[in-house]
Amino acid sequence: MTISIWRYSHLILAISSSIFILITALTGSVLAFEPISNKLKPYAVKNTNMLSLSKTIKTLKAEYDNIISIDIDNNDFVVASVVTNKGKKDTFYINPFTGKKITNTIERATIFKFATKLHRSLFLKSTGRIIIGIVSFLLLLIATTGVLLIIKKQGGVNRFFSKIVKEDFVPYYHTVISRYALIPIIIVTVTGIYLSLEKFSLLPSNNNKHVLNQVNSTKTPQLNSTAFAFFKSTTLDNLKRIEFPFSSDKDDYFTLKLKDKEVYVNQYTGNIVSEKEDNLIALASSFSLLLHTGEGSILWSGVLLLTSISILFFLYSGFYIALNRKNKSIKIKNKYRKDNAEYIILVGSESGSTFTFATALYKALISEKKSVFVSELNNYSCYKKAKHLVILTATYGDGEAPTNANKFKKLIDTFPQKNTLQYSVVGFGSLAYKGFCKYAIVIDALLQMHKNFIPSASLYKINNQSFNAFKSWTDLWSKSIGLNLNISLSRDKLKNTTQFKVVNRTIINTDDSFLIELKAPKKTKFFSGDLLSIYPNEDHLERLYSIGKINNNIILSIKKHKYGICSNYLSQLKIGDTLHAHIKPNNEFYLPEPAKEVIMIANGTGIAPFLGMINNKTTNKNKTYLFWGGRTRDSYKMYSTYIDNAFYNKKLSGLYLSFSQENSHKKYVQHILIENEALVTRVLKNKGAIMICGSIAMQKDVLEMLECIAITQLNAPLNKALIKTDCY
Amino acid sequence: MKNIVTFKIAPALVIIIFIFWGFKKPLNTTSYKCMIQMANYSGEGAYIVISLLNPKGDYEKTLYVQGDDDQWYSDITEWWKFHGKARADIDAITGATVSGGNRSINVIQIEDNKINKGYKIRFESAVEDQEYYKKDVEFELTTAALKSEFKGTGFIRYIRMLPQ
Repeated sequence: MTISIWRYSHLILAISSSIFILITALTGSVLAFEPISNKLKPYAVKNTNMLSLSKTIKTLKAEYDNIISIDIDNNDFVVASVVTNKGKKDTFYINPFTGKKITNTIERATIFKFATKLHRSLFLKSTGRIIIGIVSFLLLLIATTGVLLIIKKQGGVNRFFSKIVKEDFVPYYHTVISRYALIPIIIVTVTGIYLSLEKFSLLPSNNNKHVLNQVNSTKTPQLNSTAFAFFKSTTLDNLKRIEFPFSSDKDDYFTLKLKDKEVYVNQYTGNIVSEKEDNLIALASSFSLLLHTGEGSILWSGVLLLTSISILFFLYSGFYIALNRKNKSIKIKNKYRKDNAEYIILVGSESGSTFTFATALYKALISEKKSVFVSELNNYSCYKKAKHLVILTATYGDGEAPTNANKFKKLIDTFPQKNTLQYSVVGFGSLAYKGFCKYAIVIDALLQMHKNFIPSASLYKINNQSFNAFKSWTDLWSKSIGLNLNISLSRDKLKNTTQFKVVNRTIINTDDSFLIELKAPKKTKFFSGDLLSIYPNEDHLERLYSIGKINNNIILSIKKHKYGICSNYLSQLKIGDTLHAHIKPNNEFYLPEPAKEVIMIANGTGIAPFLGMINNKTTNKNKTYLFWGGRTRDSYKMYSTYIDNAFYNKKLSGLYLSFSQENSHKKYVQHILIENEALVTRVLKNKGAIMICGSIAMQKDVLEMLECIAITQLNAPLNKALIKTDCY
Repeated sequence: MKNIVTFKIAPALVIIIFIFWGFKKPLNTTSYKCMIQMANYSGEGAYIVISLLNPKGDYEKTLYVQGDDDQWYSDITEWWKFHGKARADIDAITGATVSGGNRSINVIQIEDNKINKGYKIRFESAVEDQEYYKKDVEFELTTAALKSEFKGTGFIRYIRMLPQ
């Protein structure tokens, strides 16, 4: 409930101020170049801490009769204002060590003048300034609501900077970049608001005042200003500005603006006539201006530039996400009404991505001539002819309901069903989160308690939107209700396929498994861990295989199933044949960078990506240990050359095998994990990585074993962020 | 090719123009150092215009403009009626604004034959979204006045003149 309010405000605030934010971010990125280009000019004076004010005055008096003021700006440029012999005022940069003029002061480029006006007042004078002030405030609110959204999404404040779950490019980077841009954005907006308030005199004014010491206001003793003790002790690095006395009147002083105070000095005696400390407001004002403009610092100006650019990106990505969410959720056009459908699919989704799976299931059922109705969990109601209920739901943050599912708990009691429904719940989530599929668990429990619902398949959890895992569930579920469903992602994917040539293959071993080596088209970029999606012959159904990359070729490990269309098709391929496929990036399952200790766990054909990883001579700097479970020693033979090579090249540090049908008792891969408890504990403790590839059943057993090791050895629950899976 | 020739001639032309300019300029003017001490107000830097008024009280000439963003000139309404029509070139006598509590020192040129003839000097001031003072400071142009101090009635605390 709360989540939608924050998201709604985040969006509404952004929409209402988007034009102005666009303008200020664009002009802001232009303006960031001004301090950079100024700072790059060679007029800065170094070692000003070595030069006393009295020396500077002496040098300058020798050059100019009539000095008005000397300023030292934020770039450490020294600016002198003098009246020339011709009776004109002249202002220029000088070298205070020699008193010579360096060059005329920089005149602001027209583009910067233009950008400044647009940035602070939109060419609308005071109205514009008010608007900009308000927009700064709105941007601050957008940033704040953004923080809340990230906290919700990540499941807690302390997880703010932990890993973000794989999503589409745009939403992923919207979150990733915002975590870094957040602090500069807050600084820019707060200083912006401060500067606006200051312009409109809404801040308390500086109450410190000069109190003139009349005793010091005399003409005797008359000293030369270069002999003043105060001028001798003041060095230029502490000075911001010195104003020379207007006339020879004894009541005309030197006015010195130092880093933290303003001082009047008698022009005859050198005595301090008055001193005024800067108060907090004055300091805050000058600090705000520095932070907001980046003046005097290339580094900070660079940060401001990046901040402006990131704001532009947020505008684009924010609207992209908002529009996409709408598109995704209304994709399904139901053929049947809710009371006519036998199959009901209800979706709980935060980003809308779960609808993709719902659509695939819907199409598969429709093609089997079944009556299906798809809707959101919040639209739950009575379904007169329904027999089957499928719930596909994501989890928001640390176990909360997604926005379109938050009313379901109440609705299930409000609308009793006439028929008894067979149900199955599929949870979508990420192992990187503590509350993996937690909301799906809640719903499953809720339905179990209801007498009108009986399970057709047990709760099924899917990590990182794995389509393969979803396929496995579809097989399970459809068989349990006596159907044979084939699901696929939308068909236009077929267009992207290219030809891959078979360069090598092994014979089928005792386990019905074989290896096949494919040559990828030139310039194809891929890594071990990516997926190869294959469309055998004219079949439009997609199969995914994990890729091992060896010598730029693709290694697949395939188990031939008796009735498997694809595995049978692949098993018949000969060297020189080609097949249609395309590579799907799967960056969740790459070797970690920077290098760590990595434990690789696989059973059966799940070894394929690891074969590639341990044979990569250039990129694999990790220390790797491979755990593999197979049926017999014979099953292992096929892989032994690759593993021997890896050992030979010192890319593999340990190999641990288990065989389920070799000895009298069955030994699975999780058993060799516990046998090597010390190694597993060390990797977990040092925050190494554990990669798991193979069957879902194996994944479940392995995770349980790891959890057990973590609790007994480390006294802490398993850190799921260290675990990468690619299971089906 | 043509461009290069133009570039070479340009400095010569500029010098010639300046020489003629020099001849045209009346020789009997005096420079005055003029200090404007701002009052302690908060807000933006004040726009200040110093003008010479003839004995009838009409604008004769702009002596100095403090503030270089012309979008605010029209806020100095009286002067704008005079300057806005003709738009004389004031680039050479324009400087940056100065905010509350600070001072600015500039040099202004006054023709000697205007002194002690009933001419007046007027300081007008305006700050964004605050008041406009038509006669923040105004005094008759006499020899004595050009050495003295005048209190301001608006954003200016006082001004002082000093012949060079």
